Amino acid sequence: MKSIIVANGLTKVYRRGREEIHALKNVDFRANEGEFVSIIGPSGSGKTALLNIIGCLDTPTGGHLQLNGAEVSGLAERDLVKLRRENIGFVFQQFHLMPTLTARENIELPLLFSHKNRGRNKIDRVLQMVGLEERGDHLPGQLSGGEMQRVAIGRALINDPHILLADEPTGNLDSDTSLMIFDLFRELNRKGLTLIIVTHNKDLARRAEKMYTLRDGKIRVCEIFS
Amino acid sequence: MNFLSLAAKNLLRRRGRTLLTVLGVAISITVLFSLLSLNSGYEKELNKEVNSMGVHILAVPKGCPYEAASLVMHGGVIPKYLSASDLDNVSNIEGIELATPMLMHQFIGKDEETGEVVPHVVFGIKINDTKRLKPWWKVEGRYFTDNETDVMIVGHGLAEKQNYSVGSVMQAGPLKNFTVVGILEQTGDQDDQFHFIPLTEAQMVFNKKNKITTIAVKVRDVGKIAAVSEQMEKIPDIQVVTMTQIMGTIMNLAGSARSLLLTVIAIALIISAFGIINTLLMSVNERTREFGMMKSIGASGLDIARMVMVETVFITFSGGIIGTLAAIVGSSLIEEFVKGMLPYSPKGSLVSLSPELIAFALVFSVVLGLICGLYPAFKSSRLTPMEAIRGGVE
Repeated sequence: MKSIIVANGLTKVYRRGREEIHALKNVDFRANEGEFVSIIGPSGSGKTALLNIIGCLDTPTGGHLQLNGAEVSGLAERDLVKLRRENIGFVFQQFHLMPTLTARENIELPLLFSHKNRGRNKIDRVLQMVGLEERGDHLPGQLSGGEMQRVAIGRALINDPHILLADEPTGNLDSDTSLMIFDLFRELNRKGLTLIIVTHNKDLARRAEKMYTLRDGKIRVCEIFS
Repeated sequence: MNFLSLAAKNLLRRRGRTLLTVLGVAISITVLFSLLSLNSGYEKELNKEVNSMGVHILAVPKGCPYEAASLVMHGGVIPKYLSASDLDNVSNIEGIELATPMLMHQFIGKDEETGEVVPHVVFGIKINDTKRLKPWWKVEGRYFTDNETDVMIVGHGLAEKQNYSVGSVMQAGPLKNFTVVGILEQTGDQDDQFHFIPLTEAQMVFNKKNKITTIAVKVRDVGKIAAVSEQMEKIPDIQVVTMTQIMGTIMNLAGSARSLLLTVIAIALIISAFGIINTLLMSVNERTREFGMMKSIGASGLDIARMVMVETVFITFSGGIIGTLAAIVGSSLIEEFVKGMLPYSPKGSLVSLSPELIAFALVFSVVLGLICGLYPAFKSSRLTPMEAIRGGVE
């Protein structure tokens, strides 16, 4: 199967005053096209740093990253914007929805930046995909936590990305709602989307096909489930 | 959805703050717009006043103070005289449509009611020349002819004050009675306060045979005023004052008052601009995470900058519209206020609301927004997505 993400020897060093924090130490990471990968580890283990580098939100201090067969390291911000826009969808723990926009408008927002007009049908299809066809005209304040995360997932999907990255997507949700969100991820994965999910929740992480465990900036275990 | 509707919705998130910022801009624009409309109205009215005098150039005796011409306008007496030969010399200059002699004199009269002694100003004029010079003159009663004696026309205001009517007899000059044959209809200028008698009669009564105080000149082409006055200056006895010079003096006086006002407004605008920038920076800092999210879903730095700019221009343009409307609605109030502050103000309305001025105020408000939005937009566009998501701005 074709590798969609290939990272070799990634390092990331942050500076906090005089202190150097080694968030990632020589990490190798690989995900195949259409694979569902979870990353777990305690706080400060470097899992968010890894996700942000894969998502081109951050640049590694060292190492190489290939997305879809193309080298990403060393690209200018302008090219990274294009790359993110066309290949990657993001979901955050805090949803980050615009409070004055309806669910439908929040999902539509990335189209404003990609200058694409996908029409009402496309947005309707996405709303249906995330199970919010009845809630499109509600503002985030009128939605439950689970529904807000669905809107955020819808927003990540509107530009038809190849990869969906989620950073603690169920961190603010109760366990039932978390399960439903994971079911949605599996559903999307079955349709061919590559998913990389960072989580604290080991039970949920085991629902993926492959699970990386990070500790102190290093990959300790890579488990593959059937 | 587009950048405009997104900006509008963003601004509505903090209605109170947006409203206050818009109001700040509106007040600045109101003051700016009022001042500019007053400025152009003032010049327009002053020009109208010059034209309504019908006189383009005044020739006065040399050596008399420069301000003599404005004394002539307001009825002062010049103790020096020109002669008939000066009039001939002036009349012969190319480009002059009409040069008419005038003798101005004062006499002391008694107020009929209070018995107070009041100075009166009387003009000896050539009636046909004057009618050509001031075609708007209308009289109740009749005009006199140049050869008549003992006849007088009085200005509207003067007649009202002194209870003159057609047929009234009054004493003017040394033991000489005049009959009022005509009362001028209101002209709205200084003529309302004067007596007018035939020139030859005036020269006789005041013992100034063949003497005149002023030659009033109307030129054929207003554009040639300078050339004609240059020719006139070559006549030895004559000092030339053009109306544009007189108005220039007034404009200079008014100009200094206006430049003071302009300075105040410039300062007000700068303060309001800093207010806008500060508000924007605050709102940009608060929304760092949001910008991070936007970058993660495909927004470029330029997109973020554009959004901040559109929001800023939204604020200043709304302020521009509100400010301009407020200035139009409140123009009469502002006019009263400014009239009190100016050293000389024409009688007509000073506010001139031209479409160009309205367009200028609106364009100015947009430019103000572009300038104010520049730094906050630049700052937010430079955030890397990671900085933004962590909310890490200095």
